[in-house]
Amino acid sequence: MFFRTLKRSSSAATVGFLLLASPGYLFAQNSTAKKSISYVGASWPTFNGDTSGRRYSSLSQIDKANVHSLKLAWAFQTHAATLKSTPLEIGGVLYFTVPDHLWAIDAKTGEKIWEFRRDSQGDHLGQRGVAFYNGRIYFGTPDAHLFCLDARNGKKIWDVTVADVAFGYYISVAPLIVKGLVVLGASGDSSNVPHYIEALDWKTGKAVWKTSVLPKPGTPAARTWPNDQAMRNGGGAAWMTGTYDPDLNLIYWGTGNPHPVDDGLGRAGANLYTCSILALNADTGAIVWYFQASPHDTHDWDAVQTPVLFNAKFKGQPRELLAQASRNGYFFVLDRKTGKNLLTVPYVPTNWAEGIDANGSPIPNPAKEPQPAGGLVKMGADGATVWMSPSFDPETGLFYINAMEGYTCWYLALNKHGQPKDHQGGGYLQLTLKSALLAVDYKTGKIRWRRPSGNGPLNAGILTTAGHVLFTADASGNVLALDPLGGRVLWHTRPGGDVDDAAPMTYQLDGTQYVVTGVDGVMYAWSLTGSL
Amino acid sequence: MALRQRIAQNDTRIEVSGAPVRLSQQKQIRNSSISMAYVCLGFFLALPVVASAQQNTTTAQNVQRGMTQFQQSCAVCHGTRATGGMGPDLLESSLVRHDKNGDLIGNVIQEGRVDKGMPAFPMMSQTDISDIAAYLHARIEVTSSVESEGPVGGYSLKDLLIGNAEAGKQYFYGAGKCSTCHSPTGDLAGIAKKYSPADLESRFLDPPTDNVTATVSLPSGQKVKGKLLHLDGFYVALRNEEGDYQSWPLQQVNVQVTDPLAAHRELLQTYTDKDIHNVFSYLETLK
Repeated sequence: MFFRTLKRSSSAATVGFLLLASPGYLFAQNSTAKKSISYVGASWPTFNGDTSGRRYSSLSQIDKANVHSLKLAWAFQTHAATLKSTPLEIGGVLYFTVPDHLWAIDAKTGEKIWEFRRDSQGDHLGQRGVAFYNGRIYFGTPDAHLFCLDARNGKKIWDVTVADVAFGYYISVAPLIVKGLVVLGASGDSSNVPHYIEALDWKTGKAVWKTSVLPKPGTPAARTWPNDQAMRNGGGAAWMTGTYDPDLNLIYWGTGNPHPVDDGLGRAGANLYTCSILALNADTGAIVWYFQASPHDTHDWDAVQTPVLFNAKFKGQPRELLAQASRNGYFFVLDRKTGKNLLTVPYVPTNWAEGIDANGSPIPNPAKEPQPAGGLVKMGADGATVWMSPSFDPETGLFYINAMEGYTCWYLALNKHGQPKDHQGGGYLQLTLKSALLAVDYKTGKIRWRRPSGNGPLNAGILTTAGHVLFTADASGNVLALDPLGGRVLWHTRPGGDVDDAAPMTYQLDGTQYVVTGVDGVMYAWSLTGSL
Repeated sequence: MALRQRIAQNDTRIEVSGAPVRLSQQKQIRNSSISMAYVCLGFFLALPVVASAQQNTTTAQNVQRGMTQFQQSCAVCHGTRATGGMGPDLLESSLVRHDKNGDLIGNVIQEGRVDKGMPAFPMMSQTDISDIAAYLHARIEVTSSVESEGPVGGYSLKDLLIGNAEAGKQYFYGAGKCSTCHSPTGDLAGIAKKYSPADLESRFLDPPTDNVTATVSLPSGQKVKGKLLHLDGFYVALRNEEGDYQSWPLQQVNVQVTDPLAAHRELLQTYTDKDIHNVFSYLETLK
C-alpha cells in the first residue's frame, strides 16, 4: 500500500533497513565457510550463470538503495510469442533462443549481430538456451539435433543427431559444459521411450558417455519395476539443465516422469530412476548416488527442477548441500557428496503423499493417483513449480521459489483391456490455482515470507544479487525488484506482456550493470544509466 | 485435443517466424479458465483423420481399409491393436515411425522377414500397403500424446457416472448444504442439459470467478462499488455500477474485495472423491 511513499524516501529507509538486517547477513557469511563454486559476476556464461544453479550474482552496482531508479537501457524484438531461454552473456554478446532460432546481440545496445535459423519438424514447446565453450555455441533443436556454431558469426561447425524425432524426442535444454563435455538430456513425453543424460565431445560432437535414466535389467534398481517390459516403456526425460561441483567431480541432473504418464497400474513400484536427482561422475557418467523425489509418480511431476548447490551450515555443521524445490511440492535438502537426505518438507499445501520413507522420499498415497471417475488432489495440475528457475541467496540463507497452489481432479483413462488409452493414460481438470513467491529457510523448510503473485500460473524465474535485490515477476504483468529479506517491493514496471520462462539474468559491461528480462517476445535490458 | 493442437502448432510454425510458442504455451499453462479444453467428456474419436506424423497423407477411408486389411493379415502376429503379440509392437518400431506412405513398410510386407519368422506377402498391392501404413500411423497418432491433456479419445460419461445419485441428493440436502443456496427446481433446473458433463463437473467443483466485486474507498471518503477487473500489488480497476471503467493506485485507496463464491471454492477442502462422484451423478439427473 505504501510502496510509492517508501520509494521517495528510499535512501533513509534503506540505511535503517540494512542496519536492522545486518545480523542476518553476518550469520549467512559465517555459514558459507567453503566456496567450492565461484559466484557468477560480470558475465553470465552458462544457463544458471554458474554451475551451482544458485542464480545469485555477485554484482552489486544495482542495489537495494538505488534499484528504484532502474531504467530501460534497450529492448530487442524477436517477434516470437514468448521467450523461454535465459540469455548467456560472453564478451559483450548476448545469446538467446526460441525453437529453431538463435540470436546473438550486442549486450550494450540490443543491436543484432547475427541470427541462426533452421526450421525443423518436432515439438516446438520450448527452447531454454545455449551453451558456450571455446568460442562455440551449442544449440539443441526440435528434431533433437545438436548444432555447434561459431560464436563470432553463427556459422555451423557441425550438427549431430542426439535422438530420434520420430519417437517424439526434442531438445529444449540448455546444455551444461563440464570439462570440455557438452552435457544434455532430451525432452519428449509423447510415446513410451527411454531417456538419457549424454555427454558429447565439445570439438567433434561424438558421444563420450551416455547414461540411461532406466537401470540395467537384473540390477536391484530394476526391481523397482514389475518387469523389464514395463521398464522399457521408459520415461525420465532429463529436460532441464543440471549443475556441477568441480571439487566432487559430480554432475547433478533431475529426471522426469515414468511412462505411461498418469497410469501407474502397469508399473507397480518406485520406477527408478524416474523423478529422481542423479549424481553422475563427470568423466564416466556413472551414477554415483540417486535420490528419488517422487517414487511411482502418476501426475507428471518431474524432478527436473534445478538441483541447487551451496555450502552452508546444517544443524550446526558446515555441509556441502544440494537443495531442490521439486515439482511434487516438496523441498529437499541433501548432502551432495553422499546423497543422504537431510530435509523433506512440503512447501505448498498438498495431500498426494501419505508419509515420508526412510530415505526421505515422500510415499505416494494410492488413493490420490488418477481415478477412472476423477480423484481430487490438493495441488495444481502442473505441480508446485516447474521450469521457472529458483534462486538461493547465500546472504539471506533463503531459497526462493515461484510456486503454484491449487486443486486438480485427476482422471485415469483405460481402454476395455485395462490398458492406458494412450501414452498419457489419463488427464486432469485444473480447479483453483494461485501463484506465490516463497522464501524458504533451507535449514527447516519453513516459509519465512511469501508474496502472492496472482491467480493462475506464473512461470517467471528468479535472480538474486549481492546488491540485496531479488528480481522476478508476478502473474499480473509486473516485473519486480524485491527485498530478498522480506519481499518488500523496491521497484516495479509494467513492460506490456507476460514475463515467462526467460529467467532474469545480469551482467556488467564498461562499468554498467544490466538486468535482462524476457517479456512475451521482447528482451528488455534495465540499468541505472538507461535513458527510457 | 492433442491432435488439433498438434496440427495447429505445425501450421503456426510454418507461417510465423519462431512463433509456435504461443500455441505450445497453452499446453503448459493450465489455469482454470482454459481447463475445459483439456477434458472433453463424452467426446469419442475412433480414429484420427489427419495428415499423420506430418508425413503421411491419410484419409478416413485409407485408415478404415488399412484397419480391415491389418486385422486380416497382420493382427494374428502383431496384435489387434498393433502393439505386439508373437511379433513385435509396430507402434514402437523405428521402421514404422520413419515410414512415409508405406515406403519402408512395403518391402517388409512384400519380402517378409523370414529369418525372424515373418512370412512374405508378395501379392499385397501397393494400395493395401499404403492403407496399412495409414492405419499404423493413425494408431501411433492416437496413442501418442503431448502433455497431460487427457486421452485423445476423451472421456465417456459412462466412466464418470460411478456415483450414487441418491447419496448425492442426500449430500445436496444434508452434509453439503448445497440446498442452502441451490434448488433442483430453481437455479439448477435442467442444469445437466445446459452443460456438458465436463463443464458441469468443473463448475460445481470450481465455480467461475466472474462475479467478484470490490468496494474502493477514496481519500475523500467516497466509496465506489463495481465489478473487479484487476487487482495486483499496485493497481485496482473496476467497472462501476454506472458501467464506467475506473482505476486507482493502491496506495491512494482502500480496497475491499467480495467474492460471493469464495466459500464455495473452500468446499474443495472438504469433498471426498465419493462426495464428488455422488453429487455429479445427482446433478446429471437434473435434465
